[in-house]
Amino acid sequence: MLEMREVSKVYRTETVETHALRGFSLKVDEGEFVAVTGPSGSGKTTFLTIAGLLEDFTRGEYLLDHVNVHGMNDNQRSRLRNEKIGFVFQAFNLIPDLNVLDNVEVPLHYRHMSGGERRKRALAALERVGLSARLKHYPAELSGGQQQRVAIARALAGGPRLLLADEPTGNLDTAMARGVMELIEEIHREGATIIMVTHDPELAARAQRNVHIVDGMATGVSEEPRFHPGLRERTAGDVSLPRS
Amino acid sequence: MAIRPIIASLSRHRIAALLIVFEIALAFAIVSNAVFLIRERLQRMDIVSGVADHQLVQVQMAYIGNEPDAEARAQVDIAALRQIPGVRDVALINQLPFADRSSNGGIKLGPRQRWNTVHVAEYFGQNIISTLGLRLIAGRKFSPGEYLGFGAVVRALHSDNQKELPHIVIVTEALAERLWPGQPALGKTFYMGNGIQFRVIGVITNLLRPEVPSIGADYSILLPIRISLQQAAGYIIRCAPQDRERVLKAAVATLKRIDPNRVLLKHRTFEQIRHAYFQNDRAMAGILVGVIAALLLTTAFGIAGLASFWVQQRTRQIGVRRALGARRVDILRYFQTENFLLATAGIALGCAAAIGINVWLMAHYAVPRLPIIYLPIGAVTLWLLGQLAVLGPALRAARVAPTTAMRAA
Repeated sequence: MLEMREVSKVYRTETVETHALRGFSLKVDEGEFVAVTGPSGSGKTTFLTIAGLLEDFTRGEYLLDHVNVHGMNDNQRSRLRNEKIGFVFQAFNLIPDLNVLDNVEVPLHYRHMSGGERRKRALAALERVGLSARLKHYPAELSGGQQQRVAIARALAGGPRLLLADEPTGNLDTAMARGVMELIEEIHREGATIIMVTHDPELAARAQRNVHIVDGMATGVSEEPRFHPGLRERTAGDVSLPRS
Repeated sequence: MAIRPIIASLSRHRIAALLIVFEIALAFAIVSNAVFLIRERLQRMDIVSGVADHQLVQVQMAYIGNEPDAEARAQVDIAALRQIPGVRDVALINQLPFADRSSNGGIKLGPRQRWNTVHVAEYFGQNIISTLGLRLIAGRKFSPGEYLGFGAVVRALHSDNQKELPHIVIVTEALAERLWPGQPALGKTFYMGNGIQFRVIGVITNLLRPEVPSIGADYSILLPIRISLQQAAGYIIRCAPQDRERVLKAAVATLKRIDPNRVLLKHRTFEQIRHAYFQNDRAMAGILVGVIAALLLTTAFGIAGLASFWVQQRTRQIGVRRALGARRVDILRYFQTENFLLATAGIALGCAAAIGINVWLMAHYAVPRLPIIYLPIGAVTLWLLGQLAVLGPALRAARVAPTTAMRAA
């Protein structure tokens, strides 16, 4: 599903050169749930932005769903991002001016999909996260947990091959965080491939596999499956949400 | 580009959106009317005078006190002026189009008609047609024997002696058509003053009235009356365009030499007369151009300002959209579509306002009805202005990196 080989990312200014990732390699199989952990400034977010095609890398090779993404232009990356990746952000990142249904439809607008198809997918995704009754609510009218559920619905609506979660419970209290985490686990059980960046060891422990990053390098990889051991036999096609 | 979410988003920022809509509406309403008024003024300035605009010069002189033998002295002046090299013709004429004096009268079609059918400018003086370069299209000119002296005509009018008054007239084509639509004018009669009958012996194409009214600007008649310098708007001299300055100087010198005691009132080309006449129109057009430019600039700045503010306010949102798959061009289109919707609302409102302003101007300032074509032209202008104004902020928005979505809120 995702394979990074010796990926490096260097940020350069006139005076400083910062190595955010140094020869980072990682392979994530279809249907896996991987937690990426590490201290602040270790390169977790850089890994996520590269994995999510939000920015390019300096050296190395990155295959997403068997497609080599190196050298792709902005439009190609945008299209691939839209079709293959679902994002769940720590700060939810819902659009405050749009209601729940419109928020979930946002990524579908960039697929030249008909209005009816957009609506069908968005409603199914919201049904999936248990927010069918809140379609016309605006983000400000929802709790943090509900907002993150909307964000998950938005990520799922396009039927992504890979779900990238950046500290998905970081802005939630314990009860809400538990609910969101259970939802992510449920989605994983249905066959989704998930990579979750977190600094919380307890959350990381709920993933099948942990990758620890320090100074831009993967220092520790726990291969021991901790959750849902039968998953590897399943395929991503089992995800129950519609695909484009 | 789906419009509904954009409208939904705008409805959450109603006040800012409405301010821009009103600004566009105001600009549309005022600009469309102002452009129409400018065009009206420019068309007015291009009006055909009927005379040889580029070949005429005027020298206006005055005697101090009454001058005996004024008519005879005028003939001496004219003969001397004709001797100036380059002079083609000379005439003493009571008035000129665009000049600052006018002689008018009312025409009735029947002797017992109570109200005038139309008002006309009365041109008199000898040799008007050839000097002004008028074009006779039917009938004939006055023969020398048909002219009457100005003094005699005045006396005849006072004594109601119809026999001593002129009874033949040359009319413009527009006047003939107004009085006898579709009929030949030659031989037709009309009445002026106290029932004085006139018979049409000739028709000329154009000759503007001095004050150029909006209706009937071309309603003029020529009367066979001989005048002296006292009744005239001066000596009107016709020459080649390139000779005007030289002829003007020579004419002034000649007239001064003949009688040094006369006062030179004016000496100018007909083009200068015309230019001076439309000075106010030009000034008005200039002011209106300034108003239009200021309004459009203010509107453009308003749109650009609001768009910049919204881009800044929505930087994170733009980053999120980019992260979710929006291409740069999608972001650009979003802001362009948003602006198009605001402009369309403003234009719709502005159309009603433009018509309202025009109706008010028609009622209070005799401005003609605003042609409907100004509305689509104005709409396209405002749409383009909006798109141009929003382009900078929209391009800035399109450059927002998708990684912005990852930054802490």
